[in-house]
Amino acid sequence: MKSKFLEIKELNKKFGPINALKNVSLNISKGEVICIIGPSGCGKSTLLRAINWLTPPDSGMVKLEGKIIGSENGKLSIEQSKLLNDFRARMGMVFQQFNVWPHLNVLENVIKAQIVVAKRSREVAEPKAIKILSDVGLKDKIDEWPDNLSGGQKQRLAIARSLAMDPVLMLLDEPTSALDPELVGEVLSVLRNLVNEGMTMLIVTHELGFASKFGDRIVFMDGGEIIEEGAPNIILKSPKTDRLKLFLEKLDITSLKEKH
Amino acid sequence: MLEYQIFFDYGPMILLGFWLTLKIVVCAIALGIPLGLFLALGRRSNFRIISFISTSFIELFRNTPFIIQVFLFYYVLPFYGLRLSAEYVGILALAAFGSAYFAEIIRAGIDAVPKGQLESARAIGMTDWQAMKNIILPQTISIVLPPLTNQTLTLIKESAVLSTITVHELTMTGLMVQGETFRPFEVFIMVALLYWALNETIATIMRKLEKKFSKDRKKTETTKPTIKNLQRKGL
Repeated sequence: MKSKFLEIKELNKKFGPINALKNVSLNISKGEVICIIGPSGCGKSTLLRAINWLTPPDSGMVKLEGKIIGSENGKLSIEQSKLLNDFRARMGMVFQQFNVWPHLNVLENVIKAQIVVAKRSREVAEPKAIKILSDVGLKDKIDEWPDNLSGGQKQRLAIARSLAMDPVLMLLDEPTSALDPELVGEVLSVLRNLVNEGMTMLIVTHELGFASKFGDRIVFMDGGEIIEEGAPNIILKSPKTDRLKLFLEKLDITSLKEKH
Repeated sequence: MLEYQIFFDYGPMILLGFWLTLKIVVCAIALGIPLGLFLALGRRSNFRIISFISTSFIELFRNTPFIIQVFLFYYVLPFYGLRLSAEYVGILALAAFGSAYFAEIIRAGIDAVPKGQLESARAIGMTDWQAMKNIILPQTISIVLPPLTNQTLTLIKESAVLSTITVHELTMTGLMVQGETFRPFEVFIMVALLYWALNETIATIMRKLEKKFSKDRKKTETTKPTIKNLQRKGL
């Protein structure tokens, strides 16, 4: 059952009159890297947030390794919300605005959920946190406070915090969009390492360079729907729909403008 | 002219009243702040009944005069078989009144923490309560400390109202001594000075606490004189 690692089936979500998600279905196999692109407000962040139920979908369902995340009707029983927390612990989420915890130092940021959620002892959690922090290049920052870190360092800390929970899947919501251009590279290189380790990832991104090089599949969304999906070189070089063509043209123009 | 003898003759009696005020206020705050925290959390609970009860409690005690609440506690509780001494009624009334304000302060503090903090805590698998306890509430401390101090000082001053239900606290003692001596100026100077001293002490302690909590996050800047940190300081 390799192809059914993560199964997204007919997800729908409305915010008032706006269809944020319209019958979105997607299957992801283990180790796959999916990059989701699309204009702002197209529902790509909502899709990620619906997968771990941060935004509960109105209908449809998400299955991880054959088990339903949350429920199928948008509501949760007490038992289901307990299970949901277990699912969330196994799905790392990285936010555009980092959301590192400013009242805890770098090391504690990576230890906290290990102790509170995974019920590990400090003796286990601390060496693990130090190991992961050195993997993302923050070993010399473990005593720092998040407020004293640069954006790129904060995002690497946020990634480390998720990795400490041994996730089987990573959801990354525009991980580099809030960063100064010169800091994007350090975060992408951490993500590159994750790709090489075989981590399954869903990345909402505008970094088409990264997407075409490391993405197994690119999903283009617009108006809450998946318009096109496929291998990067096919999607980016020969888009089938006008909407994707238009989107890629706009991106090209802005990236050219930025260069000059 | 001031009659200094009164300070010596009635000082000990006034101090006794002060001692009772202190005890009542400490108990009321020790009850009121945890109750306020419960109410604040109750108000944002997903369970409708809990949030309704919490909200009603807060609005009731926030929007009626304290002196009326005291009368209600004092005269109505015995009807329901709860016979308490005036001191205990006073503590309960002060705690209830204070908790409504404490709750609103804590709620505002929780709201002031960016939404992403709760989301990142929930996304990593924490329950709502674990996220509150480990991520949100620790961040509200530095936010709520100044208004919490203000409310505590107000509560201490409001405790004077308890003199109306025969609690022999500082104000009541002052009134009695005044009736005996007909020297209001000397007496109420003593009373006012004692309230002032108590509040000033609390305000000073809280200012120190505030500094400690806001310093916590920045302490590495002073311990690590790296070039970056020096540049940040403009050196």
